[in-house]
Amino acid sequence: MEGFGEKIVEVMASNRIDIHMFGYTIPISNAVITMWIIMAVLIVLSIVFTRKFKTIPEGKQNVVETIVELINKLTESSLGHHWRLFAPYIGTVLLFLVFANTISIFNIIPSGEQLYHMTHIEALKEFPDFNLLPPTKNASVAMGFAVMSMVAVIVSGIRVKKVKGWLKSFIEPVPILLPFKILDYFIRPLSLCFRQYGNVLGAVIIMELLYCALPAFLPGVVSIYFDIFDGILQAYVFVFLTSLYIAEVVE
Amino acid sequence: MENTAIAASLALVACATAGIGISYATAKAVEAVARQPEASSKIQTVMLLGAALAEATAIYGFVIALLMIFTK
Repeated sequence: MEGFGEKIVEVMASNRIDIHMFGYTIPISNAVITMWIIMAVLIVLSIVFTRKFKTIPEGKQNVVETIVELINKLTESSLGHHWRLFAPYIGTVLLFLVFANTISIFNIIPSGEQLYHMTHIEALKEFPDFNLLPPTKNASVAMGFAVMSMVAVIVSGIRVKKVKGWLKSFIEPVPILLPFKILDYFIRPLSLCFRQYGNVLGAVIIMELLYCALPAFLPGVVSIYFDIFDGILQAYVFVFLTSLYIAEVVE
Repeated sequence: MENTAIAASLALVACATAGIGISYATAKAVEAVARQPEASSKIQTVMLLGAALAEATAIYGFVIALLMIFTK
């Protein structure tokens, strides 16, 4: 049983890569590098997919339109007539979180050393290692997203209601609720952060235990639930709650 | 160390409560779909959202248990 505990500690730790530059040491954690990869993929995809639009959609334009329509519908259903203002932000966070939470499906691909062990072909040793863990398993990354959506809530409240109206909303309907309304701004990001972080970390730990207990076949099946379904559901819940909070402030 | 193990397992009682909550939500959703099959897509999204929210309690318990075990 000792091996399992060490495995969990290893998964929970955020490894750092030090970059030495101009006499300074800049520590960069694994999650940041994974996020850079996701950002690069998203930017390249959005450039490739949005070129040469036509009035009558065909091919890849259909895919983009489906995604955009889905995001628009999601924001419209919760935000009402203000949806046009917030759809870009909600869509960006949703796309990023979907990619970030499901990135561990690349763990299914065996690393170069495992391939060498299985086949004993020397050339496969150079095969790149796809051991990517979702960045949201790091509590700080999840907290960053939660704080970002809370800032969005405050900014949208000020923008739609102006400063006076926004301040007034704290003492409506009764002034007794003021402390609770202020407390809301601290509890909501915490709950958003823990929901995201706990779900993703739980899925990662379970998958890691499965990988070392039963390396054949089963992880591939279970990964459909833990990596894909759970990741997309949590990303959806995150943006849904964000838009719900925004709607409450904007009303 | 033994005390920590007991405390962690007690924190996981939250998982049981989340199970009860999710099963209740699912039962109600099944009832609603049986009564009104044309509204099934709407019911499904609401049910998934409710289940994810109810699951949060289990996650809090899990996170607290992990924190208790791995932070000295």
